[in-house]
Amino acid sequence: MWPTRALYARSVWKGPNIVPLPIVRPKPGEKVPPIRTQARSATILPSFVNLKFQVHDGKNYIDILITEDMVGHKLGEFALTRKNFTYKQTKNK
Amino acid sequence: MVFIFGINFPEQTLVKRSLETFYGIGPKVSRGIMARFHIFPWAKVGSLKNAQVLDLTAELSNMKIENDLRREVQDNIRRLKDMGTYRGRRHAMGLPVRGQRTRSQIKTARKLNKIERGGFGRA
Repeated sequence: MWPTRALYARSVWKGPNIVPLPIVRPKPGEKVPPIRTQARSATILPSFVNLKFQVHDGKNYIDILITEDMVGHKLGEFALTRKNFTYKQTKNK
Repeated sequence: MVFIFGINFPEQTLVKRSLETFYGIGPKVSRGIMARFHIFPWAKVGSLKNAQVLDLTAELSNMKIENDLRREVQDNIRRLKDMGTYRGRRHAMGLPVRGQRTRSQIKTARKLNKIERGGFGRA
């Protein structure tokens, strides 16, 4: 009934969040640099499969290879924005 | 002793309670099943006729309950984990998945959120 859980949060009449991304179809034998983007809320479309993305996590760009399972999710779901706390001992003081 | 879906229940157990011991059957589903076979909500297992017991067993064997359901839930969680989504990671860490606060009150998430959700077999 629901193609994806992402639809729960979004009105169906709006359709998926399609963001214009600079996607280049590679010619055979040609290397394409990953697509660098800050659009974390962009829905992953079937046409993105097997493309490499670099998604912003607030600081860095994280490499993601899109697989078939990921269609319907958002780009941001695969780039974590939080870092685990680790205690760093201070030398001075 | 009455056998429903291969499980032995003492005669004085409520039918509702005995149905709800199965993983995947709660108050709402058990009410629906009992209404379909004309069983009173407060009926005891011992008062069931033989045909009704067979009907219940047939109905339960057509439903997705117990280990089949557990496997489905676990597969869904594992798919999220293998994809590397935020939700999958939160399951693996045993933390709230849907953006709840974690400063306090995450007992339920600690208890439930894991890759092997629902455990194995009957308790």
